Amino acid sequence: MSALLEMKGIVKRFNDTAVLRKVDFSVEAGEVHALMGENGAGKSTLIKILTGIYPKDGGEIFWNGQKVEINNRNDAFRLGISVIYQELSLIPTLTVMQNVMLGREETRAGIINAKTMRKRVKDLISKYGFGIKPDATVETLTIAQRQTVEILKALSEESKMIIMDEPTASLSTKESDALFKIVEQLRDDGVSVIYISHRLEEVYRLSDRLTVLRDGVREAVLTKEQIIPADVVRLMIGKELSESTASQNLRKSDAPVRLKVENLTRKGIFKNISFEVHEGEIIGVAGLVGAGRTEVMRCIYGADPYDSGKIEFEGEALPRRIVANIKKGFGFVPEDRRNQGFTPLLSIEKNVALTNYDTLASGGIVKAKKERKLGNEMVERLNIKPNNSQIPVGNLSGGNQQKAVLAKWLSRDLKILIIDEPTAGIDIGAKDEIYRILEELAANGTSVIMVSSDLQELLRVSQRIIVMRKGEIFTEFSDGRVTQEDILMAESGILTKEGQEHE
Amino acid sequence: MRQENMRRIISVASLVIIMLIFGLTSDSFFTADNILNILRDCAVYGIIAIGVTFVIITAGIDLSTGAIVGVTGMLCANLLYYYNLSAGLIVLISILTGTICGMLNGFIVVKLRVPEFIATLSTQYLFRSMVFVFTIREMGVITNKRIENPAILLLGGRINGIYLVTMAFVLLAVIGQIILKKTKFGTYIYAAGANRKSAELSGINTDKVRWAAFIITGFLCGIAALFQIGRVGSVTTDLGNGWEFDVIAAVVIGGCAFSGGRGDVFGSTVGAIFMAVLQNGILKYNLPTAAQLVVKGIVIVLMIVFDAVYNNMMQKRIQQKAREEDAAEMAGGEA
Repeated sequence: MSALLEMKGIVKRFNDTAVLRKVDFSVEAGEVHALMGENGAGKSTLIKILTGIYPKDGGEIFWNGQKVEINNRNDAFRLGISVIYQELSLIPTLTVMQNVMLGREETRAGIINAKTMRKRVKDLISKYGFGIKPDATVETLTIAQRQTVEILKALSEESKMIIMDEPTASLSTKESDALFKIVEQLRDDGVSVIYISHRLEEVYRLSDRLTVLRDGVREAVLTKEQIIPADVVRLMIGKELSESTASQNLRKSDAPVRLKVENLTRKGIFKNISFEVHEGEIIGVAGLVGAGRTEVMRCIYGADPYDSGKIEFEGEALPRRIVANIKKGFGFVPEDRRNQGFTPLLSIEKNVALTNYDTLASGGIVKAKKERKLGNEMVERLNIKPNNSQIPVGNLSGGNQQKAVLAKWLSRDLKILIIDEPTAGIDIGAKDEIYRILEELAANGTSVIMVSSDLQELLRVSQRIIVMRKGEIFTEFSDGRVTQEDILMAESGILTKEGQEHE
Repeated sequence: MRQENMRRIISVASLVIIMLIFGLTSDSFFTADNILNILRDCAVYGIIAIGVTFVIITAGIDLSTGAIVGVTGMLCANLLYYYNLSAGLIVLISILTGTICGMLNGFIVVKLRVPEFIATLSTQYLFRSMVFVFTIREMGVITNKRIENPAILLLGGRINGIYLVTMAFVLLAVIGQIILKKTKFGTYIYAAGANRKSAELSGINTDKVRWAAFIITGFLCGIAALFQIGRVGSVTTDLGNGWEFDVIAAVVIGGCAFSGGRGDVFGSTVGAIFMAVLQNGILKYNLPTAAQLVVKGIVIVLMIVFDAVYNNMMQKRIQQKAREEDAAEMAGGEA
């Protein structure tokens, strides 16, 4: 078989950091090719180069043996490459048919020929056995159905290659099964599928070949027979890691329980979540995108409602109001730092003050001197750079922005800090500082719940690790030695509930 | 049932309800003459509302429509008085002036990337100032001259009892609805408003689409101005003052959402009739002016609040439904 796509020696740098270092990647016609690697391994960068979103800094791309230049999305589109985006890109108020045919409507004398368009879409739907109606408005469909509409759109454009990036992240088991059937059908029709997923069981089930990336280098290309989940995990993590970050001794805490969550359930999002957090303990929450980690945290903090279950804080039922919870000593550092963590146009001082006006203001009037003093204190204490509390937080580097967000909460008498992906997009030096801050915080008695997708980070900082999978707590590592492989296998679905590997 | 149909039923139902209220409490409401008057009164706003519907579906707004009517009407009056141009030329110039104003709005929004609200707020001042440039003056004093051109005055007249402006409104609304629902351009209007980025990824030039919506609005303002001066027979400097808000209210009552992607010309037509019925019905009670305005204000606030509450409710219901389906499948899939 000849390769439909060949990418040779692809190089990409951001500033001075090489993200892709001479990566080779090839996909044959009519194969499902999985692309795997940890966060930051370079998967999305490679795909973005293939679809013309990023220019490449080196290497060549061949399509059907011809050298091609892909400079923008249209170039990729013309070759027949479609992407099913993680954030869905449909027009919510238009119908399935209108969305599928958008930009390629058939008209007669200027009037849209709905009949022939509907027939085309209907034919495609019945050919693939999708259970959707061409005249349904997209906003009334479930996420899974919307994804099918995107696939329909790609099919109607006669794509030769469909790229799916974590397609099952927000799908139920049944919906995922339906998607797998679609993928298999696509393959049988000669369409190539590049399948990006952290869920090893899916990859194991679906893919004809598998490429593993690690730190911007192609680590291995495996054929179906060669795919052994435990090996893939080892390839993704790498071998030459020092013992201290590869595994960790966990320890249970004897301190009193501060937060107790019992059978917390939000229909369709997560269910039966139960865990305890002790005083001065750092508990890590692992899981893949879509496992429901962020949703549980938002719910505990009081930002989202839940349907059943209990949340107790120091023995009492926790109020459902964010303001009350902040008074009780809660802090919350969200995953989406830029949009939810801080106010970019306001200075560090003002951002810190936002969570402190209960003490910084009286009768609605701000005590400017106190405000300034607190701002300066926090800049000093967290070593925020530049060392000036008057600078807008939007102008700081990622690491310093995160410190400014932490400053909002550390300036208070904190009993519990919920922090979601603490170091996403932050350079290594600043990462260490943030870990140190979290450790100091715990040493002084604050409980920390840290959601993270970074295995090294989870092992380095947490004393216990909860692993979530598909809206439930899958397992908890609470004592003894745990390795990155253990966590990865637990979150990605290789391990069954009994702790056995799939056959 | 599709949300669109549901919303349609509600807006028609609220129109029927207020008509019944006025009809049952006043003898002079359900008379042929009064109904024809309502259909005349709603038509001028309605014609503009067709264009504003396009703009609001693209998630835009146009605050300059009243001022476009003002400047267009005044320019026509000026040319009729000083140059005695023929009716044909006046019609052409009026439509052209409105269209040019719309082009300018679109240019500022699309090419200069000024948000619609600010852009059309500022052009409103510009167009309003132009009204004073074209005002007819005698010895330096602004004078209001009657329009003598019989063909122009005919535009305010009627055939078989039905006002010409009503006919024009119906015709333009039908054309507008067909463009919106049956042409590529119409689909692109929705796409540009509901998810602009995605529309662009599908190869749609959303800049062109949004610009066109402004041009259509300007064009329709030119037509509206002609009928208005034909009806009144003269032009004052406050022609069109505040109309933009009556038009926007009509469009929103008719089911367009400021967030874009929702609504249609049929709905806006219902909204325009609603506004005219409200205005007309209140007059029948012989209330003091202040009370009339208060009643009108309260009804509009209620309608708009209802619209927002309804939209939020539907949005929640859709999400709830999707979540429950997910929950059901989650449970089913693991059993």
